[in-house]
Amino acid sequence: MSIIVKQLALKILAAVFLFSLAPEVSDAQLKRERSVTSVLAEPAFSATKNIGISTIINPSGGDLHYSILHTFGLVDGGIDRFYGLDDGANTRLGLIYGVTDRFSIGVGRMTFRKVVDISAKVNLMQQTKDAGRPVSIALKGATGISTVSGQGLDFNERLSYFTSVMFARKFNTVGIQLTPMYSYFNRVLGEDEQHLFGLGMLLQVDLNERLNLSWEYLPVLGNRNPGTDDAMALSLNIDTGGHVFQIFFASSQWHNEQYIMANNSDRFWEGDFRFGFNIHRVFGLF
Amino acid sequence: MTTFKRAAILIIFLLISSSVNAQSFMTEEGDVEFTSSVPLHTFTGTSSQLKGLIDFDENLVDFYIDLQTLDTGNGRRDRDMYSTLNVEDHPFAEFTGKLTSDFNQDSDSAQKVTVEGEFTVHGVTREISVDGELTLNGDVLKLRAGWIINITDYNIEPPGILFYKVDEEMDIKIEAELQKTEE
Repeated sequence: MSIIVKQLALKILAAVFLFSLAPEVSDAQLKRERSVTSVLAEPAFSATKNIGISTIINPSGGDLHYSILHTFGLVDGGIDRFYGLDDGANTRLGLIYGVTDRFSIGVGRMTFRKVVDISAKVNLMQQTKDAGRPVSIALKGATGISTVSGQGLDFNERLSYFTSVMFARKFNTVGIQLTPMYSYFNRVLGEDEQHLFGLGMLLQVDLNERLNLSWEYLPVLGNRNPGTDDAMALSLNIDTGGHVFQIFFASSQWHNEQYIMANNSDRFWEGDFRFGFNIHRVFGLF
Repeated sequence: MTTFKRAAILIIFLLISSSVNAQSFMTEEGDVEFTSSVPLHTFTGTSSQLKGLIDFDENLVDFYIDLQTLDTGNGRRDRDMYSTLNVEDHPFAEFTGKLTSDFNQDSDSAQKVTVEGEFTVHGVTREISVDGELTLNGDVLKLRAGWIINITDYNIEPPGILFYKVDEEMDIKIEAELQKTEE
Protein backbone atom coordinates (compact mmCIF):
# COMPACT_ATOMS: atom_id res chain seq x y z
CA MET A 1 0.00 0.00 0.00
CA SER A 2 1.52 3.31 -1.00
CA ILE A 3 2.16 6.00 1.58
CA ILE A 4 -0.32 8.33 -0.08
CA VAL A 5 -3.09 5.75 0.08
CA LYS A 6 -2.26 4.97 3.71
CA GLN A 7 -2.36 8.63 4.65
CA LEU A 8 -5.64 9.10 2.84
CA ALA A 9 -7.18 6.08 4.55
CA LEU A 10 -5.89 7.32 7.92
CA LYS A 11 -7.49 10.72 7.34
CA ILE A 12 -10.80 9.13 6.42
CA LEU A 13 -10.77 6.94 9.54
CA ALA A 14 -9.90 9.95 11.69
CA ALA A 15 -12.73 11.93 10.12
CA VAL A 16 -15.18 9.08 10.77
CA PHE A 17 -14.00 8.89 14.37
CA LEU A 18 -14.30 12.62 14.98
CA PHE A 19 -17.68 12.69 13.26
CA SER A 20 -18.92 9.89 15.51
CA LEU A 21 -17.99 11.91 18.59
CA ALA A 22 -19.72 15.09 17.50
CA PRO A 23 -23.12 15.55 19.19
CA GLU A 24 -25.93 15.48 16.72
CA VAL A 25 -28.87 16.80 18.73
CA SER A 26 -31.39 16.56 15.96
CA ASP A 27 -30.65 12.87 15.42
CA ALA A 28 -30.45 12.12 19.11
CA GLN A 29 -33.76 13.78 19.95
CA LEU A 30 -36.78 11.60 20.37
CA LYS A 31 -39.04 11.40 17.39
CA ARG A 32 -42.31 13.18 18.21
CA GLU A 33 -45.22 10.76 17.92
CA ARG A 34 -48.85 11.32 18.88
CA SER A 35 -50.09 9.27 21.84
CA VAL A 36 -53.71 10.14 21.19
CA THR A 37 -54.89 8.91 17.82
CA SER A 38 -58.64 8.97 18.37
CA VAL A 39 -60.19 12.25 19.49
CA LEU A 40 -63.81 12.84 20.46
CA ALA A 41 -65.85 14.86 17.98
CA GLU A 42 -67.29 18.21 18.98
CA PRO A 43 -70.62 17.86 20.83
CA ALA A 44 -73.55 17.72 18.40
CA PHE A 45 -75.72 19.97 20.60
CA SER A 46 -75.22 22.93 22.89
CA ALA A 47 -77.26 21.79 25.87
CA THR A 48 -78.90 18.82 27.54
CA LYS A 49 -82.18 19.75 25.85
CA ASN A 50 -82.48 20.72 22.21
CA ILE A 51 -85.71 22.60 22.99
CA GLY A 52 -88.09 20.17 24.67
CA ILE A 53 -86.38 16.87 23.85
CA SER A 54 -83.27 15.63 25.62
CA THR A 55 -80.02 15.49 23.68
CA ILE A 56 -77.10 13.09 24.05
CA ILE A 57 -75.24 15.81 25.96
CA ASN A 58 -74.33 14.92 29.54
CA PRO A 59 -72.76 17.30 32.03
CA SER A 60 -69.10 16.45 32.58
CA GLY A 61 -68.12 14.55 35.71
CA GLY A 62 -68.49 16.79 38.77
CA ASP A 63 -70.51 19.44 36.93
CA LEU A 64 -73.97 20.55 38.01
CA HIS A 65 -76.25 21.61 35.20
CA TYR A 66 -79.10 23.95 36.04
CA SER A 67 -81.93 24.73 33.64
CA ILE A 68 -85.00 26.95 33.64
CA LEU A 69 -87.52 26.18 30.91
CA HIS A 70 -90.54 28.34 30.09
CA THR A 71 -93.37 28.08 27.62
CA PHE A 72 -96.27 30.54 27.37
CA GLY A 73 -99.66 30.71 25.67
CA LEU A 74 -100.25 30.64 21.91
CA VAL A 75 -99.01 33.71 20.08
CA ASP A 76 -102.28 33.92 18.13
CA GLY A 77 -103.84 35.52 21.21
CA GLY A 78 -102.49 38.76 19.75
CA ILE A 79 -101.59 41.92 21.58
CA ASP A 80 -104.59 41.51 23.94
CA ARG A 81 -102.90 38.44 25.40
CA PHE A 82 -99.44 39.95 24.76
CA TYR A 83 -98.87 37.16 22.27
CA GLY A 84 -99.35 34.46 24.87
CA LEU A 85 -97.23 35.88 27.65
CA ASP A 86 -100.36 36.84 29.64
CA ASP A 87 -101.53 33.22 29.62
CA GLY A 88 -99.16 32.00 32.25
CA ALA A 89 -96.06 29.93 31.86
CA ASN A 90 -95.38 26.30 32.30
CA THR A 91 -92.02 26.51 34.04
CA ARG A 92 -89.68 23.65 34.71
CA LEU A 93 -86.69 23.97 37.00
CA GLY A 94 -84.15 21.21 36.62
CA LEU A 95 -80.84 20.03 38.01
CA ILE A 96 -78.60 17.43 36.41
CA TYR A 97 -75.43 16.23 38.07
CA GLY A 98 -72.62 14.63 36.08
CA VAL A 99 -71.54 11.64 38.15
CA THR A 100 -68.93 10.92 35.46
CA ASP A 101 -68.36 12.32 31.98
CA ARG A 102 -70.75 9.63 30.73
CA PHE A 103 -73.39 9.24 33.43
CA SER A 104 -75.74 11.77 34.97
CA ILE A 105 -78.71 11.91 37.29
CA GLY A 106 -81.33 14.62 37.32
CA VAL A 107 -84.38 16.01 39.05
CA GLY A 108 -86.89 18.59 37.89
CA ARG A 109 -90.26 20.06 38.61
CA MET A 110 -92.74 21.72 36.25
CA THR A 111 -95.83 23.81 36.82
CA PHE A 112 -98.31 21.68 34.88
CA ARG A 113 -99.70 18.90 37.07
CA LYS A 114 -96.88 19.81 39.46
CA VAL A 115 -94.85 17.01 37.96
CA VAL A 116 -91.62 16.13 39.69
CA ASP A 117 -89.34 14.00 37.55
CA ILE A 118 -86.18 12.09 38.25
CA SER A 119 -83.96 10.85 35.47
CA ALA A 120 -80.69 9.20 34.54
CA LYS A 121 -78.74 9.27 31.30
CA VAL A 122 -75.74 7.26 30.20
CA ASN A 123 -73.55 7.73 27.14
CA LEU A 124 -72.83 4.31 25.69
CA MET A 125 -70.71 5.55 22.82
CA GLN A 126 -69.18 8.90 21.89
CA GLN A 127 -68.48 9.94 18.32
CA THR A 128 -64.83 10.35 17.37
CA LYS A 129 -63.30 12.57 14.71
CA ASP A 130 -61.95 9.54 12.91
CA ALA A 131 -64.18 6.80 11.52
CA GLY A 132 -63.74 4.59 14.61
CA ARG A 133 -66.99 5.64 16.26
CA PRO A 134 -69.22 7.42 13.75
CA VAL A 135 -72.13 8.18 16.10
CA SER A 136 -72.87 8.90 19.73
CA ILE A 137 -75.38 6.71 21.54
CA ALA A 138 -77.07 7.43 24.86
CA LEU A 139 -79.84 5.94 26.97
CA LYS A 140 -82.21 7.91 29.13
CA GLY A 141 -84.73 6.76 31.71
CA ALA A 142 -87.11 8.93 33.72
CA THR A 143 -90.03 8.78 36.08
CA GLY A 144 -92.61 11.52 36.47
CA ILE A 145 -94.70 11.98 39.59
CA SER A 146 -97.74 14.23 39.57
CA THR A 147 -97.90 15.96 42.95
CA VAL A 148 -101.22 17.72 42.49
CA SER A 149 -103.17 17.45 45.74
CA GLY A 150 -106.87 16.90 46.34
CA GLN A 151 -107.49 14.42 43.53
CA GLY A 152 -107.75 11.31 45.68
CA LEU A 153 -105.00 9.54 43.75
CA ASP A 154 -102.71 7.03 45.33
CA PHE A 155 -98.98 7.17 44.68
CA ASN A 156 -98.94 4.59 41.87
CA GLU A 157 -101.62 6.41 39.93
CA ARG A 158 -99.45 9.51 39.85
CA LEU A 159 -96.53 7.84 38.11
CA SER A 160 -95.43 7.79 34.51
CA TYR A 161 -92.29 6.28 33.01
CA PHE A 162 -90.14 7.21 30.07
CA THR A 163 -87.20 5.71 28.25
CA SER A 164 -85.37 6.60 25.06
CA VAL A 165 -82.29 5.73 23.09
CA MET A 166 -80.49 8.53 21.30
CA PHE A 167 -78.36 8.27 18.17
CA ALA A 168 -76.51 11.45 17.28
CA ARG A 169 -73.84 12.61 14.90
CA LYS A 170 -72.07 15.87 14.27
CA PHE A 171 -71.33 16.77 10.64
CA ASN A 172 -69.09 19.84 10.59
CA THR A 173 -71.57 22.52 11.68
CA VAL A 174 -74.67 20.33 11.76
CA GLY A 175 -75.76 18.06 14.60
CA ILE A 176 -78.55 15.53 14.13
CA GLN A 177 -80.20 13.11 16.49
CA LEU A 178 -82.83 10.41 16.18
CA THR A 179 -84.52 9.34 19.39
CA PRO A 180 -86.92 6.40 19.48
CA MET A 181 -88.83 6.72 22.74
CA TYR A 182 -91.45 5.00 24.84
CA SER A 183 -93.61 6.16 27.70
CA TYR A 184 -96.04 4.49 30.07
CA PHE A 185 -98.68 6.11 32.25
CA ASN A 186 -99.97 4.15 35.24
CA ARG A 187 -103.31 5.91 35.10
CA VAL A 188 -105.06 7.30 32.02
CA LEU A 189 -108.46 8.87 31.49
CA GLY A 190 -111.06 7.92 28.86
CA GLU A 191 -109.56 6.62 25.65
CA ASP A 192 -106.05 7.82 26.39
CA GLU A 193 -103.24 5.36 25.80
CA GLN A 194 -101.10 3.88 28.53
CA HIS A 195 -98.32 3.06 26.06
CA LEU A 196 -97.00 5.73 23.75
CA PHE A 197 -94.21 5.42 21.20
CA GLY A 198 -92.51 8.30 19.46
CA LEU A 199 -89.53 9.22 17.32
CA GLY A 200 -87.77 12.43 18.23
CA MET A 201 -85.95 14.14 15.36
CA LEU A 202 -83.48 16.83 16.36
CA LEU A 203 -81.33 19.19 14.34
CA GLN A 204 -78.84 21.89 15.29
CA VAL A 205 -77.09 24.11 12.77
CA ASP A 206 -74.17 26.22 14.00
CA LEU A 207 -74.14 29.73 12.57
CA ASN A 208 -70.96 30.70 14.39
CA GLU A 209 -69.27 29.98 17.74
CA ARG A 210 -72.04 31.74 19.67
CA LEU A 211 -75.20 31.27 17.64
CA ASN A 212 -77.02 28.23 16.35
CA LEU A 213 -80.46 27.27 15.16
CA SER A 214 -82.26 24.13 16.28
CA TRP A 215 -85.38 22.30 15.25
CA GLU A 216 -87.21 19.29 16.59
CA TYR A 217 -90.19 17.21 15.65
CA LEU A 218 -91.81 14.50 17.71
CA PRO A 219 -94.29 12.27 15.85
CA VAL A 220 -96.22 9.77 17.97
CA LEU A 221 -96.03 6.36 16.35
CA GLY A 222 -98.98 3.97 16.49
CA ASN A 223 -101.92 4.61 18.80
CA ARG A 224 -102.12 8.09 20.26
CA ASN A 225 -104.33 10.02 22.65
CA PRO A 226 -107.48 11.50 21.04
CA GLY A 227 -107.11 15.13 19.96
CA THR A 228 -103.33 15.18 20.20
CA ASP A 229 -100.87 16.04 17.45
CA ASP A 230 -97.19 15.77 16.69
CA ALA A 231 -95.11 18.46 18.37
CA MET A 232 -92.63 20.71 16.61
CA ALA A 233 -90.36 23.54 17.74
CA LEU A 234 -87.84 25.96 16.27
CA SER A 235 -85.21 27.79 18.30
CA LEU A 236 -82.43 30.36 18.15
CA ASN A 237 -79.71 29.43 20.63
CA ILE A 238 -77.07 31.70 22.10
CA ASP A 239 -74.06 30.04 23.70
CA THR A 240 -72.23 32.62 25.80
CA GLY A 241 -69.65 30.14 27.08
CA GLY A 242 -71.19 29.99 30.54
CA HIS A 243 -74.89 30.04 29.65
CA VAL A 244 -76.93 28.68 26.79
CA PHE A 245 -80.08 30.69 26.04
CA GLN A 246 -82.71 29.10 23.83
CA ILE A 247 -85.40 31.41 22.43
CA PHE A 248 -87.99 29.39 20.61
CA PHE A 249 -91.45 28.86 19.19
CA ALA A 250 -93.05 25.52 20.01
CA SER A 251 -96.41 23.88 19.53
CA SER A 252 -96.34 22.10 22.90
CA GLN A 253 -96.47 23.88 26.22
CA TRP A 254 -95.30 20.72 28.00
CA HIS A 255 -91.71 20.00 28.87
CA ASN A 256 -90.89 16.32 29.41
CA GLU A 257 -91.08 14.02 26.42
CA GLN A 258 -93.79 11.69 27.77
CA TYR A 259 -96.06 14.63 28.54
CA ILE A 260 -95.38 16.23 25.16
CA MET A 261 -96.40 12.97 23.44
CA ALA A 262 -99.47 12.55 25.65
CA ASN A 263 -100.78 16.11 25.73
CA ASN A 264 -99.75 18.25 22.77
CA SER A 265 -102.81 19.23 20.76
CA ASP A 266 -101.40 22.16 18.76
CA ARG A 267 -100.20 22.15 15.16
CA PHE A 268 -97.14 24.27 14.56
CA TRP A 269 -97.63 24.43 10.80
CA GLU A 270 -101.15 25.84 11.26
CA GLY A 271 -99.87 28.75 13.32
CA ASP A 272 -100.54 27.16 16.71
CA PHE A 273 -97.25 27.85 18.38
CA ARG A 274 -96.13 29.67 21.44
CA PHE A 275 -93.10 31.59 22.61
CA GLY A 276 -90.71 30.05 25.09
CA PHE A 277 -87.20 30.34 26.37
CA ASN A 278 -84.77 28.09 28.18
CA ILE A 279 -81.72 29.01 30.18
CA HIS A 280 -78.98 26.43 30.78
CA ARG A 281 -76.06 26.93 33.11
CA VAL A 282 -73.21 24.68 34.20
CA PHE A 283 -71.45 24.94 37.53
CA GLY A 284 -68.16 23.14 38.12
CA LEU A 285 -68.40 21.69 41.62
CA PHE A 286 -65.04 19.91 41.70
CA MET B 1 2.27 -3.66 12.76
CA THR B 2 2.07 -0.63 10.54
CA THR B 3 1.02 2.79 11.76
CA PHE B 4 -2.11 2.50 9.68
CA LYS B 5 -3.17 -0.77 11.30
CA ARG B 6 -2.46 0.55 14.78
CA ALA B 7 -4.53 3.65 14.08
CA ALA B 8 -7.41 1.62 12.68
CA ILE B 9 -7.44 -0.72 15.69
CA LEU B 10 -7.32 2.24 18.07
CA ILE B 11 -10.24 3.94 16.36
CA ILE B 12 -12.34 0.77 16.31
CA PHE B 13 -11.55 0.19 20.00
CA LEU B 14 -12.52 3.75 20.86
CA LEU B 15 -15.77 3.45 18.92
CA ILE B 16 -16.64 0.17 20.65
CA SER B 17 -15.70 1.43 24.11
CA SER B 18 -17.71 4.60 23.48
CA SER B 19 -20.72 2.47 22.67
CA VAL B 20 -20.29 0.18 25.68
CA ASN B 21 -19.99 3.09 28.13
CA ALA B 22 -22.91 5.03 26.66
CA GLN B 23 -25.21 6.17 29.45
CA SER B 24 -28.56 6.80 27.86
CA PHE B 25 -31.93 6.43 29.61
CA MET B 26 -35.46 6.57 28.24
CA THR B 27 -39.06 6.49 29.37
CA GLU B 28 -42.39 6.35 27.57
CA GLU B 29 -44.64 6.51 30.61
CA GLY B 30 -43.46 9.32 32.83
CA ASP B 31 -45.93 11.28 34.92
CA VAL B 32 -46.82 14.91 34.38
CA GLU B 33 -48.99 16.97 36.69
CA PHE B 34 -49.99 20.59 36.36
CA THR B 35 -51.97 22.66 38.79
CA SER B 36 -53.95 25.74 37.84
CA SER B 37 -55.81 28.10 40.10
CA VAL B 38 -58.98 30.07 39.88
CA PRO B 39 -60.24 32.07 42.86
CA LEU B 40 -61.25 29.71 45.69
CA HIS B 41 -60.40 26.64 43.66
CA THR B 42 -57.54 24.75 42.05
CA PHE B 43 -57.64 21.92 39.57
CA THR B 44 -55.04 19.43 38.49
CA GLY B 45 -54.38 17.79 35.16
CA THR B 46 -52.35 14.63 34.85
CA SER B 47 -50.86 12.37 32.22
CA SER B 48 -48.78 9.22 32.42
CA GLN B 49 -47.49 9.47 28.89
CA LEU B 50 -44.45 11.66 29.27
CA LYS B 51 -41.78 10.45 26.86
CA GLY B 52 -38.19 11.35 27.52
CA LEU B 53 -34.51 10.73 27.03
CA ILE B 54 -31.49 11.61 29.15
CA ASP B 55 -28.21 10.93 27.41
CA PHE B 56 -25.15 11.67 29.55
CA ASP B 57 -22.71 11.14 26.68
CA GLU B 58 -24.44 13.61 24.42
CA ASN B 59 -25.46 15.71 27.42
CA LEU B 60 -28.95 15.72 26.03
CA VAL B 61 -32.18 16.03 28.00
CA ASP B 62 -35.21 15.64 25.75
CA PHE B 63 -38.84 15.25 26.88
CA TYR B 64 -42.22 15.68 25.24
CA ILE B 65 -45.86 14.94 25.88
CA ASP B 66 -48.95 14.74 23.71
CA LEU B 67 -51.10 17.46 25.29
CA GLN B 68 -54.30 15.57 24.57
CA THR B 69 -53.27 12.92 27.10
CA LEU B 70 -53.73 15.50 29.87
CA ASP B 71 -56.85 14.76 31.90
CA THR B 72 -58.34 17.13 34.47
CA GLY B 73 -61.18 14.77 35.38
CA ASN B 74 -63.78 16.92 33.63
CA GLY B 75 -64.53 16.45 29.94
CA ARG B 76 -65.81 19.98 29.41
CA ARG B 77 -62.71 21.48 31.01
CA ASP B 78 -60.46 19.16 28.98
CA ARG B 79 -62.15 20.26 25.74
CA ASP B 80 -61.68 23.92 26.70
CA MET B 81 -58.04 23.27 27.58
CA TYR B 82 -57.29 21.52 24.28
CA SER B 83 -58.97 24.35 22.43
CA THR B 84 -57.02 27.00 24.37
CA LEU B 85 -53.75 25.20 23.69
CA ASN B 86 -54.70 24.75 20.03
CA VAL B 87 -53.63 21.12 20.12
CA GLU B 88 -54.71 20.58 16.52
CA ASP B 89 -51.80 22.74 15.36
CA HIS B 90 -49.46 22.29 18.34
CA PRO B 91 -50.04 18.82 19.78
CA PHE B 92 -46.89 18.63 21.96
CA ALA B 93 -45.29 20.33 24.91
CA GLU B 94 -41.57 19.65 24.70
CA PHE B 95 -38.27 20.40 26.35
CA THR B 96 -34.84 19.95 24.83
CA GLY B 97 -31.74 20.98 26.71
CA LYS B 98 -28.70 19.86 28.64
CA LEU B 99 -27.47 19.27 32.16
CA THR B 100 -25.61 22.29 33.41
CA SER B 101 -24.66 20.81 36.77
CA ASP B 102 -22.47 17.85 37.62
CA PHE B 103 -23.95 14.40 38.00
CA ASN B 104 -21.93 11.56 39.53
CA GLN B 105 -22.87 8.37 37.69
CA ASP B 106 -21.05 6.27 40.31
CA SER B 107 -23.37 7.37 43.11
CA ASP B 108 -26.77 5.82 43.82
CA SER B 109 -28.00 8.64 46.01
CA ALA B 110 -30.34 11.41 44.91
CA GLN B 111 -28.50 14.35 43.39
CA LYS B 112 -29.73 17.85 42.74
CA VAL B 113 -29.30 18.81 39.10
CA THR B 114 -30.11 21.72 36.84
CA VAL B 115 -31.03 21.57 33.20
CA GLU B 116 -31.26 24.43 30.77
CA GLY B 117 -32.87 24.42 27.40
CA GLU B 118 -35.87 25.25 25.27
CA PHE B 119 -39.42 24.61 26.42
CA THR B 120 -42.05 24.77 23.70
CA VAL B 121 -45.82 24.80 24.07
CA HIS B 122 -48.57 26.40 21.98
CA GLY B 123 -45.95 26.89 19.25
CA VAL B 124 -43.91 29.29 21.39
CA THR B 125 -40.38 28.46 22.54
CA ARG B 126 -38.70 29.97 25.59
CA GLU B 127 -35.35 29.34 27.26
CA ILE B 128 -35.86 27.94 30.76
CA SER B 129 -33.83 26.54 33.61
CA VAL B 130 -35.28 23.73 35.71
CA ASP B 131 -34.04 22.33 39.00
CA GLY B 132 -34.66 18.67 39.67
CA GLU B 133 -33.39 15.53 41.27
CA LEU B 134 -31.83 12.48 39.64
CA THR B 135 -31.18 9.11 41.27
CA LEU B 136 -29.27 6.45 39.39
CA ASN B 137 -29.92 2.96 40.67
CA GLY B 138 -28.53 0.27 38.38
CA ASP B 139 -30.29 0.54 35.04
CA VAL B 140 -32.97 2.86 36.38
CA LEU B 141 -32.65 6.63 36.48
CA LYS B 142 -35.31 8.31 38.60
CA LEU B 143 -36.23 11.86 37.78
CA ARG B 144 -38.22 14.43 39.72
CA ALA B 145 -38.52 18.04 38.66
CA GLY B 146 -40.86 20.96 38.86
CA TRP B 147 -41.11 24.51 37.63
CA ILE B 148 -43.59 27.32 37.16
CA ILE B 149 -44.54 28.82 33.84
CA ASN B 150 -46.47 31.94 33.07
CA ILE B 151 -48.86 30.87 30.35
CA THR B 152 -48.99 34.36 28.85
CA ASP B 153 -45.26 33.96 28.00
CA TYR B 154 -46.42 31.29 25.56
CA ASN B 155 -49.22 33.41 24.08
CA ILE B 156 -51.83 31.31 25.90
CA GLU B 157 -54.86 33.37 26.81
CA PRO B 158 -55.90 32.42 30.37
CA PRO B 159 -59.24 30.70 29.86
CA GLY B 160 -62.29 31.81 31.83
CA ILE B 161 -64.12 29.36 34.06
CA LEU B 162 -67.48 30.71 35.17
CA PHE B 163 -66.79 34.35 35.95
CA TYR B 164 -63.14 33.83 36.82
CA LYS B 165 -59.95 33.74 34.85
CA VAL B 166 -57.47 30.93 35.30
CA ASP B 167 -54.31 32.16 37.02
CA GLU B 168 -51.51 33.02 34.61
CA GLU B 169 -48.99 30.99 36.61
CA MET B 170 -49.10 27.23 36.38
CA ASP B 171 -47.17 24.69 38.47
CA ILE B 172 -45.72 21.80 36.50
CA LYS B 173 -44.27 18.66 38.05
CA ILE B 174 -42.77 15.67 36.28
CA GLU B 175 -41.71 12.33 37.66
CA ALA B 176 -40.32 9.39 35.72
CA GLU B 177 -38.29 6.23 35.91
CA LEU B 178 -36.04 6.07 32.86
CA GLN B 179 -34.62 2.73 31.81
CA LYS B 180 -31.11 2.32 30.47
CA THR B 181 -31.25 1.93 26.72
CA GLU B 182 -29.82 -1.04 24.85
CA GLU B 183 -26.97 0.12 22.59
